[in-house]
Amino acid sequence: MSTDQPTTGHRPGPEPAGPHYSEQDHGEQEQLFDLPPSTSPDSESYHLDPTHFGIEPGEPWPEDVPRDQDDTWWRYRDDPAGARKAEIKIAFMWIITLLCGLGLAVIYVMGGDPQIEGGLLALGFFCLGVGFVWWARDLLPGHDVTASRGHHSQSTEAYRTTVVASLGRGLEPIARRPFLGKALGLVGGVFGVCILFPLASLGPRLHNGLAKTAWGRNTRLVDENGRPVRPSDIDPNGILTVFPQTNPGDPQGATLLINLGPASNDYKPPLSRSTWKIDTPSGTIIAFSKICTHAGCPVGLYNTIAHELVCPCHQSTFNVLQDCKPVFGPAPRSLPQLALAVDTDGYLVSQTGYDQPVGPGYWGRG
Amino acid sequence: MSTTAERRAADQRQKLEKAGLDFVDDRFGSSRWLQSAMDKIFPDHWSFMVGEIAMYSLIVLIITGIYLALFYVPSGAEVVYHGSYKPLDGQTMSEAYQSVINLSFHVRAGLVMRQVHHWAAIVFLAAVCFHLCRIFFSGAFRRPREINWTIGLLLLIVVMLEGFSGYSLPDDLLSGTGLRVVYSIVESIPVIGGWVAYDLWGGAFPGTTLIPRLFVVHEFLFPLVIVGLLTAHLAILWRQKHTDFPAPGKTETNIVGSRLWPQYAIKSGALFMMVIAVLCLLAGFFQVNPIWIYGPYTPYNVSAGSQPDWYVGWLDGALRIMPHWEFRSFGVEIPNPFFPGILIPGVLFGIMFAWPFIDRKIYNDEGPHNLLNYPRDRPFRTAVGVAALVFFSDLTMASGTDLIGNNLHISYERLIDILQYGAIIGPIVGGIIAYKVCVALQRTSAHPIQKPIGGVIVRGADGSYHTLGDTDHGGDHDGAATNGHGAEDEHLDGEGDGAGNGHGRPAEEETVGAGGTSGASAHSAGSSPPTDD
Amino acid sequence: MSMHLAPVRRFLRSLVAGRRRLLAGPLAVVGVAVVAGSFLFGLGGTSSATQPKVSTNKATITAGENLYNAHCSSCHGIDGVGGRGPSLIFAGAAASDFYLQTGRMPLNDPNDEPLRHHRWFSQHQIVAINSYIAALPKINRVKGSGPGIPEILPLCPASESHNNSQIAAQQAKGTAKCVTLSFGQHTFALDCAQCHQIAGSGGMLSKGFVIPTLQNASLDELGEAMRIGPMPMPKFGTGQLNHVQLSAVARYVKYLQQPAHPGGLRISGFGPVAEGFVGIILGLGLLVLVARLMGTRG
Repeated sequence: MSTDQPTTGHRPGPEPAGPHYSEQDHGEQEQLFDLPPSTSPDSESYHLDPTHFGIEPGEPWPEDVPRDQDDTWWRYRDDPAGARKAEIKIAFMWIITLLCGLGLAVIYVMGGDPQIEGGLLALGFFCLGVGFVWWARDLLPGHDVTASRGHHSQSTEAYRTTVVASLGRGLEPIARRPFLGKALGLVGGVFGVCILFPLASLGPRLHNGLAKTAWGRNTRLVDENGRPVRPSDIDPNGILTVFPQTNPGDPQGATLLINLGPASNDYKPPLSRSTWKIDTPSGTIIAFSKICTHAGCPVGLYNTIAHELVCPCHQSTFNVLQDCKPVFGPAPRSLPQLALAVDTDGYLVSQTGYDQPVGPGYWGRG
Repeated sequence: MSTTAERRAADQRQKLEKAGLDFVDDRFGSSRWLQSAMDKIFPDHWSFMVGEIAMYSLIVLIITGIYLALFYVPSGAEVVYHGSYKPLDGQTMSEAYQSVINLSFHVRAGLVMRQVHHWAAIVFLAAVCFHLCRIFFSGAFRRPREINWTIGLLLLIVVMLEGFSGYSLPDDLLSGTGLRVVYSIVESIPVIGGWVAYDLWGGAFPGTTLIPRLFVVHEFLFPLVIVGLLTAHLAILWRQKHTDFPAPGKTETNIVGSRLWPQYAIKSGALFMMVIAVLCLLAGFFQVNPIWIYGPYTPYNVSAGSQPDWYVGWLDGALRIMPHWEFRSFGVEIPNPFFPGILIPGVLFGIMFAWPFIDRKIYNDEGPHNLLNYPRDRPFRTAVGVAALVFFSDLTMASGTDLIGNNLHISYERLIDILQYGAIIGPIVGGIIAYKVCVALQRTSAHPIQKPIGGVIVRGADGSYHTLGDTDHGGDHDGAATNGHGAEDEHLDGEGDGAGNGHGRPAEEETVGAGGTSGASAHSAGSSPPTDD
Repeated sequence: MSMHLAPVRRFLRSLVAGRRRLLAGPLAVVGVAVVAGSFLFGLGGTSSATQPKVSTNKATITAGENLYNAHCSSCHGIDGVGGRGPSLIFAGAAASDFYLQTGRMPLNDPNDEPLRHHRWFSQHQIVAINSYIAALPKINRVKGSGPGIPEILPLCPASESHNNSQIAAQQAKGTAKCVTLSFGQHTFALDCAQCHQIAGSGGMLSKGFVIPTLQNASLDELGEAMRIGPMPMPKFGTGQLNHVQLSAVARYVKYLQQPAHPGGLRISGFGPVAEGFVGIILGLGLLVLVARLMGTRG
């Protein structure tokens, strides 16, 4: 321990003049708090006070904690002129903050403006923060201090033994009467489940609400303004979002009407669906559920060249000419098709509801 | 050089301070704790501040959130808007949506508060993820900090859900679309999915009860959980003390940094101010979540290019690149969204939760550590981390296939194909590259503190030759200009002037399967046993 | 001369001097309100057809035919019967005007997706070709006609705002003589946003078709596109979007080209992706920089 090398930021303090801390001070630890000199950072014996370095009274000074640290050091401690300059710099920053605050008050009274408000808030807090940084860096002590981590990571073996005894005091009698333990388990389990029943009030019983729509026999198709739709209303290559007239707000009922236009000749539905379409001079009209079978987004994009419906959420792509079979993307099932007919007034109606649940799948769907 | 007057003033202050502390101690016996608290050391490495950035963003979120909550109306009831924003005049919307429109256009300072809140959420999660990466790559999760790692991961999950619920509160077209997707994911849970979805939403989608419930969840439930978990997180950190990167002067049993009082408290306060400043800068000049453009939510409307906020983007991307598999048999089905929405995140987070234990097994290292690793010193762990980052990046990119396609004129079919393969190949390739980079960096002399493997020969003043690092002494207080240590000091990073106490031994070399030891003893090729004065 | 300028100079100087700073706020607010208001209330809105885009003048049609034969017939055939490109007999002046004004036609390769380009023809030439295309059914001796260039109804002036409910009812019925932005937003959200994005930024269709942004479209182009359904876009006839709905959508899209953005920079209008970039790179980036400046690196 002959030549102590200074570590970064440390100015070597005066040679310790006070008593060398050793084992004999164990038990006299209360005295440390009574001695005024050692509570002051300026006192000579301060450097030795192990309490400030995480060292328990009675413990030897660890080797990895330098004994010559001066944690009262700050940048301009020996340079009052420099300290003054630093102070002025900080004050300048804080004056800008003050002005920003006033500016905020003014702009608020004048009606507010998000850009000015944000800008002034940002500038004000920034200057406040810069002032604090300079204050800490230049005028306050406590830099680069090394202390002991202490012994909080593990208790002494003595305590580790006594805590087992404390826990065992309770667990042993419980363990010796397994019947009570098992009974508590059973009762607690059943009782616990029963008191959770009010949670079921959060929602209605799961019925086929997930599957049903408002479409039924001879339900008129209406547009979003409530007007019934005729076949001639859709131009070739046109689309229209329609709803069941009985319940236009039904979220499961949104349906997309498509006029295949020039591709009508390429549309060859299976026999079971050959009556589900409406043939018009301008093209074949078919209808599909607008609710994606993947995750329920509205499938609204129609590619009139590839005759594909695309869902914008995850790019599920459905081929309209093949009963909206999914040809790309994560959708696993075709879009359900709505069987169309024309009623006596010439308006489009649904023959029945959808033949399968619309929208995404769930456990009991099939 | 104090004058009498100054000394008297100082005495007065000390008397007052003592009187105040005695008052408190008389009631709580707190002096010992207060002293250790004020003397507490916090290491100053910049990457340790990112956790604080996250915490301060959270405080901003809470303060602005309370303000917003005083104006928000948590009701899904339909109203007709007749305010000053003409493009929505006369339209039907939920009361919740209307309240946010009013806050944005009719409440002074309302829009800037809303934007601060939203930007704070975005930056908060970015800071949390950065913090997570720092903890992972530096090995700070090792014993005794495994439980804090678990708490941190729980915080990540809850905070993601909190953000999602928050931006869904305005009930606009974009966030409503996201709710529809989440409903489908919940629905897809086997056996109980439908029930859970029905109970959460009060019925089929969209229902009318979701908005008020989401409000309770976002304002009350999740914040309680977050504050509770964060308190535990900080309390454990306080108790166990912060870790630090190895360097001369730093050991497993000491801690080097700034005192809490006054240094670290003031600096941390300054960081708080800076966080607020940056968030206000964003809020003032960058528009975020313009719900008036999105319009109110209806289940049959949707916008192209719908994405969630960035921190949920990986989930949306997972849904996009998942092949169209679905399990359908015997009248039951496990729908497609289950796999990317529940299963894959479950597996990924499961691995993350288990990582401290996996890491222990890989490195056969059950001991406690207060000194961190540099990432290059644990190439395998770093490779796994990089692989995970590549995977999440691939998924996040996948959530923007329509935007990327629109900008670069590439079809989304091709993009999704690339990203599907990329999700498997990318992490493997990324991990291998990271591994090799780590090993290569180890071999160069660019390590902050570790000597190069293989040795560098220097010539001393007396003409003798020695290999750098070959003759290091442990526990050397006077190790300075002798025995080539001077040259060694130059070799090291300037921190600590080289002479330290010699107790700060460099990080353990990476030897897979070999036991890592605490840093107090010296290790290098051909080391001599530590000597002491 | 300078005698007259001096008071002007003094006035201008006073604007720049101290007192202006007090007035700057209210002036800015008023200025923004005026500009926004004029957009919102259509005080500055122009009617769409200031000059006729189609003519029945024989000379114009002949000039159009000559231009057509020179530049278009190689793909679209003589008299518009079609060939490598589709038949144009029922394309109508709307299609002709749309494709030519946006520079989508002439197209070098029929397999390319026609995207917005600089105009190839002058306005006169476009009028001539429009007229020719409009006359094609007659030239080919077939019945029927293609869609004409729709005339976009104006925005309802602010003075009419007390009649809001009446105007709303008229728009719903299709009898309104002016349109509101709100009705336009409502219709746009249902029929257009799923492809063109809620802020009109564009999107992506299957098979590599790019859905263009609406930032550059004129009122006429908007109306024409809806009526003709160009390329992969669906066609919206009067049964799907009546004249009032079409006008409202067109007016709203014009608003979207310069929407109110009180929150600051719009960052592309694409939404959370762009916001995430800014938040992470700018927000977290600045803060990490601050941390690096405040902390140590060893």
